[in-house]
Amino acid sequence: MAGMCCGVVGETETPSTVEPSGGRQARRRRVDIHQLKFLASDVVAPLPGSGRKRRKVESLEMIGNNVDAKALTTPLECEKVVQPCHMKLKEEGHLGSSSETETVLNPCKLLSETVGETVRDEESSRFGITTVCGRRRDMEDAVAVKPSFSSDLHFYGVYDGHGCSHVAMKCKDRMHEIVKEEVENSGESLEWKETMAKSFSQMDKEVTEWSEGASSSNCRCELQTPQCDAVGSTAVVAVVTPNEIVVSNCGDSRAVLCRNGVAIPLSSDHKPDRPDELTRIEEAGGRVIYWDGARVLGVLAMSRAIGDNYLKPYVIPEPEVTVTERTAEDECLILASDGLWDVVSNEVACSVARMCLNSQKPPSPLRSPGNEVNVAGGEYSDKACSDASILLTKLALARRSSDNVSVVVVDLRKNL
Amino acid sequence: MSVTPNSTAFMAQAMHADNPHRETFHRFFECWISEQNTYLEELVSAADNHNRDENDDAVLCPLIERVVRHYEQYYQAKSNWEKRDAISMFSPAWRSKLEDAFLWIGGWRPTLAIHLLYSKSGIQMEAKIGDLIRGLTTGDLGDLEPNQINRIDELQKKTIYEERMLSEKFAKQQESVADRSMVELSNAVSEMIRNEDGSDEGENEEKVESTLDSKKDGFEELLHMADDLRLETLKAVIEILRPIQAVHYLIAAAELHLRLHDWGKEREAHVAENVTGAPSGLDVS
Repeated sequence: MAGMCCGVVGETETPSTVEPSGGRQARRRRVDIHQLKFLASDVVAPLPGSGRKRRKVESLEMIGNNVDAKALTTPLECEKVVQPCHMKLKEEGHLGSSSETETVLNPCKLLSETVGETVRDEESSRFGITTVCGRRRDMEDAVAVKPSFSSDLHFYGVYDGHGCSHVAMKCKDRMHEIVKEEVENSGESLEWKETMAKSFSQMDKEVTEWSEGASSSNCRCELQTPQCDAVGSTAVVAVVTPNEIVVSNCGDSRAVLCRNGVAIPLSSDHKPDRPDELTRIEEAGGRVIYWDGARVLGVLAMSRAIGDNYLKPYVIPEPEVTVTERTAEDECLILASDGLWDVVSNEVACSVARMCLNSQKPPSPLRSPGNEVNVAGGEYSDKACSDASILLTKLALARRSSDNVSVVVVDLRKNL
Repeated sequence: MSVTPNSTAFMAQAMHADNPHRETFHRFFECWISEQNTYLEELVSAADNHNRDENDDAVLCPLIERVVRHYEQYYQAKSNWEKRDAISMFSPAWRSKLEDAFLWIGGWRPTLAIHLLYSKSGIQMEAKIGDLIRGLTTGDLGDLEPNQINRIDELQKKTIYEERMLSEKFAKQQESVADRSMVELSNAVSEMIRNEDGSDEGENEEKVESTLDSKKDGFEELLHMADDLRLETLKAVIEILRPIQAVHYLIAAAELHLRLHDWGKEREAHVAENVTGAPSGLDVS
């Protein structure tokens, strides 16, 4: 059984690809058993903060099933304290026996490759993406999800372009690479705010340089302005580390954390009429004109963005960065363009996503075969993220969102 | 329906008869729309009788096929009339002014097929949002699956692209009204009128006819392409949907079409009343 799940027991490097699709619940049970054992033997159980650690937990525990737990008392990964075991016990009510665990193991991994591309990567970033044109005639949103883009960090970005889509597309292609570079360059002395500010500034620089040299592009915007100066994009980027959520934002896309059912915005929209932004713009010599809402120079309805060269220095590419400690109560993170936020409140989005994540789907006879990810009745999580993102998107469309809609839902629950 | 002559019969008759074209297409349209109404009733009853726990695709699929074929017949007939008189198809007397206002190259905008889907899906989804969050299926357009949303989005992008291409072509076609040949010809004929010189009359008349003919050909081609895109988009949406979803979709499509037609007609009747029924009691007719 252990072999099926994790390759060769005792290997220091765990296999990188296959994870059993029966994984989550099975793992939950396994981890529970494991934690009990560890607690019983008075050892601090490891917290599977990152996927790598999680898999080590699995292999440890699997070994634990066969070998005396005392034989592996203090592995390197044990530095973190787990949430107390009784919580899990309350939630589960019962502990699966090891034979029960065996029955849900399924060595093949099913990925549902849809809009909502649901992916469980080897570092166990669980997320769902949905991005649609919706009621608009132009698609200017772009989404980038890069699990483990730099060691155990996961990257999620939503970019909502204006004027044309090329700045958003550029962000999608490059932002995570730039952030990776900055993160890896700063090494031990990683200061998130500075790192992200540098990254955004570099991104903006690249966009500006690119549009200056991009005479050969076939963008729609070329018809309107030769230099593509009137083109830009919002950027909301979340870097999820084993312990923190780092959200950097420029513009009016938004990241919301769902913690124990409460919606906590991790970014604050950059609207030209936000008092501090209004002051900043006016101090820079710019003006905010109310023309179909507050607009910088009567043009752009946001006060910060990547690109938009001609609106500098009133519109700046400097992000606001929040660093949030992860807690055991964190459920999910929602990143979305204003196509969602214009018609769905943080609270509603949060409760919809949360309910999707918690819902246990009964097998439905109506579902066409092949669409079902959770055949073995074990794997809900990634599908749940995808379901959440698709449901939020559909809700936005149902509520007459007039914009492109892009939603990323990231499952932040640990010890599942 | 067997009593009233059906649209297919009308079409066959019209293609061989010497009826004035517009008049005949008008009658075809009236006939087609009453058939659409009948199909609507069938679709509604199919949706009402649909049992979510049983697979009734065998019942639904043939009905969907028939309804789609009915749309195909419409476009086949329209295409035939376009070949005869493309120009008059741009100002269809069988439609109300209200419908006219929404027309794009002689018919509905192809992207409407997707907007219609999003609207209906949104309505059905919000009605059962609780079930959906709990992971239950609604058995209608409320629970479009991720891969369906994905395909719809792809279809929408493709349709917008093709619609734009056609709009561009249409723009070119319209701009050609002031091209060199038209300006030259209008000047030549004006000169002729001013000088009361009838010597070139025959030659000019021929030129006018051939120039306008080439314009007409351009319009006809555009109509064909626009109609193809309309039908193609409709079929592509149906193709993405599960049978019961397709039934709900076709219901929404028929309801919107029929009611908009009614509203337009009512509005016109109302306007006509206001014009003829003089407020002061004076008989202006």
